[in-house]
Amino acid sequence: MESDDDYYEDDIDPDDYDDGHNFDNEDVEVDEGYLGESSVDARISSYNPDLGDDDPYPYECLSADKVVGLMNEIIREVNDIVNIPSTTLRILLAHFNWDKELLLEKYYEYEGNQERIFAEAHVISPLKSKSLARRKSGRSIEQACEICCNNYSSSFMTGLDCGHSFCKGCWSQYLCTKIIDEGMSQTISCPEFECDIIVDDAVVMNLITDQKVCRKYQHLITNSFVMCNPLLKWCPAPDCHHVIKVEYRDKRPVKCECGREFCFDCGESWHDPVLCMHLRKWLKKCDDDSETSHWISANTKECPKCQVTIEKDGGCNHMVCRNQACKHEFCWVCLGPWDPHGASWYNCNRYNAEEAKKARDLQESSREMLQRYLFYCNRYMNHLQSLKFEHKLYARIKRKMEEMQQLNMSWIEVQFLKRAVDVLCQCRQTLMYTYVFAFFLKRNNQSIIFEGNQADVEKATELLSEYLERDVTTASLGEIKQKVQDKYRYCDSRRNVLLRHVHEGYDKDWWEYIETS
Amino acid sequence: MSSIATTRIQRELKDIKESNNQSIKIELKSDEFNNLRGEIVGPSGTPYQDGMYKLSIKIPETYPFNPPIVSFDTRIWHPNISSVTGAICLDILKDQWAAALTLRTVLLSLQALLSAAEPDDPQDAVVAKQYKDNQKAFVKTARFWAQYYANAPGPRDTDCVEKLRKASEMGFYKDISLQALSTHSWDLENAIQYLTSC
Repeated sequence: MESDDDYYEDDIDPDDYDDGHNFDNEDVEVDEGYLGESSVDARISSYNPDLGDDDPYPYECLSADKVVGLMNEIIREVNDIVNIPSTTLRILLAHFNWDKELLLEKYYEYEGNQERIFAEAHVISPLKSKSLARRKSGRSIEQACEICCNNYSSSFMTGLDCGHSFCKGCWSQYLCTKIIDEGMSQTISCPEFECDIIVDDAVVMNLITDQKVCRKYQHLITNSFVMCNPLLKWCPAPDCHHVIKVEYRDKRPVKCECGREFCFDCGESWHDPVLCMHLRKWLKKCDDDSETSHWISANTKECPKCQVTIEKDGGCNHMVCRNQACKHEFCWVCLGPWDPHGASWYNCNRYNAEEAKKARDLQESSREMLQRYLFYCNRYMNHLQSLKFEHKLYARIKRKMEEMQQLNMSWIEVQFLKRAVDVLCQCRQTLMYTYVFAFFLKRNNQSIIFEGNQADVEKATELLSEYLERDVTTASLGEIKQKVQDKYRYCDSRRNVLLRHVHEGYDKDWWEYIETS
Repeated sequence: MSSIATTRIQRELKDIKESNNQSIKIELKSDEFNNLRGEIVGPSGTPYQDGMYKLSIKIPETYPFNPPIVSFDTRIWHPNISSVTGAICLDILKDQWAAALTLRTVLLSLQALLSAAEPDDPQDAVVAKQYKDNQKAFVKTARFWAQYYANAPGPRDTDCVEKLRKASEMGFYKDISLQALSTHSWDLENAIQYLTSC
C-alpha cells in the first residue's frame, strides 16, 4: 500500500499544479451540471496536445538567488546528518556531483576509514586538520613567499589545511587568475606543486577583495551546481538568469518566467514532434553556411561523452573534457576513450582502407543528400520566416480587437482573434519541426500517413493565415467570428492528429531513420 | 609586465646562478624579462648525452600564475617533443603548472623528460611509434640528431653519415633528408621515395 501512495504522490501533485483540478474532477462531488460544463471547457484550454498524454509536468522557475538557497539547503541537510564544516562539505558535495545520497552512502560505507573520501575529494579531513591546524599563531617571524620571493611577517602569510602558505597578495592574484582567466571555481587547488588540496569558498571570499571577481566566483559556483544537477537547467534566453527545476528529467516543454519556452532535455525551443537528437543534427547542418560554424567545424570536436564543444589548444591528443560534470578523457584523433590508448595509440594513426571506401561512398551519396536537404530546409526556413512575421500580425490583430470593442463587442467576445493567431503560431512552429522530422525519416507506410497529415495541417494553416492577413480587415465584423473560429479549430485539431500520430509512432517503433553524414 | 613576474624572474635568475648547476643555464635575450633563453645539457646515459639544447622561454604577463611557454630551439628526436617545431608535451607546462614551480624546476623536469620519455602521451607520433616499435632505430636516430644538431661529442654513426650524404647528393636539403631518413628508420629507399613524392 505504501508504495502505491508514493506512486501517486510522485507522479501527480495536484496542489502544486494549476490545472490539477481539471483532471481530478471525478473525485470531487459538486454540482454535476456546473462541473460537467466547466470541465469540457477546461479540457480544451488546458489539454496540451504537444504532450500526447495528459499528465502534467511539474516544474519551478528559480532565480539565481534561489538556486544559491537550494545549494545551501542541501549543505544544511547533509550537515544535520554528518557533522562536517560546511566549507568542506561543499567541496565533498561538488565531488559527488551534488548527489547527497551518494555522499552519505559512501560516507557510511567507509565508516571508520572516512579519510579516503576526503582524500578522493582533495580536502584535508576536518577530523585530522584540527590537530594540525593553527600552529603558527602567536609568534611573528619572517617567512619567504615562494611565489613572489619576498619576505613577510607570518601574519601576512596564509594557506589551507595542507600547511603550504603564501603571502596574501599572491593568493589573491592566484585566485583571480584561476577564476577570471580559467573560469575555475570548485577545482582550484593549493598553488604548491603537486598539492591537490582544493581551496574552499570561505578562503576565496576572504582573500578576494575585488567585487567583480567575487561575483564571478559565486556565479561559477552556482553554474557548476546547476550543471552537475540533472534536475536543473539554465534558461537558454540571453541574459536570463533563471533556472528551471523539475522533479524528473524528461523531454518536455518548460516555460521560464522570461517567457522563453524550451525543451528541458536539450534546451532548444520546444520542438515537438522531432527528437532532440535529430534537431541537434539539423541545427548543426543548417548553421553550416555561416563563417562561425565553418570555424567551429574546422577547429572543434564534441566531447564524445557530454557533447560539449571542445577546441584543441595544444599539440597532444590526450584530451580531458573541461566540463566539470564530465571530465572525460579521450583521444582527439579517433574520439575513443583515452585509457586503451596508453598501449595502442597507433590504432588511430593507421590508414583504414574500409573506412576510406566508406568515405568515398558517402561522398557520392552526398549529392543526392544535398538535394534532399535543400528540399526540407527550404520548407523549414519558410515557416521560420513566416513565424517571425506573425509578430506583426499580433499587433494588427490587437488593433482590430480594439476596433471591435468600440463597436459594442465585449472584451471577452473578441478574444477569439488572439487565440487564432496563437494557434497559427503553434501550427507554424509544429510544421517547421515536422520538416526536420521528415528529413531524417525513411519512407514507409506510416511515413506516408504522416505526410498526409502534414499536408492537411499545412493547407489549413495557410488558409487561416491568409484569412487573418487579408479578409479579416475587410469583412464585416459580425461574420468574422464564426469563420475564424471554424478555421482555427480545424487547424488545431489537425495539428493534434498529426502530433498524436507521430507520438504513437515513437511508442510503437514505426519510424525508421536514414543515416546522415 | 607585472611586478610579481619581474621580481620573480630576477630572483630566479640569481638562484640559478648561485645553484652552480652546470647542466642548466638561463639568460635574458634582451632587457625585457618576458623573453629568455635557456640551455640544458643532455643527461648522461641517454642518446642525448652531452648535447647542448637551446630553449626559448616566454614569460606570460600573468607569470607565475600561468606557466612559461617553453619550446626547443635545438632540434631533437624525442617522443614528447615535436621533431619539427620543438613544441613540448609536458604536464607541468600545461594543467599541472603550480605557482610555486620555477624555471629551474622546469628545466630540471625537461632533463628528466629526456631521460624518461612518455611514449604513451606523445607529441610527435612518428617518433613515438619508432620508440615503441623499433627501439634500436630510435636510439640511433636520437643519438645522431644529438650529434648533428646539439653538438654532442663522439664518433658519428657511419651508416647515418653515409645515407645522409647520399640523400643530399641527390639534391635534397640536409635537414629535410635527415627528417625523411629518420622517419623511415634509415631505410634509404623509402626515404628517397618519400622525398620525391612530396
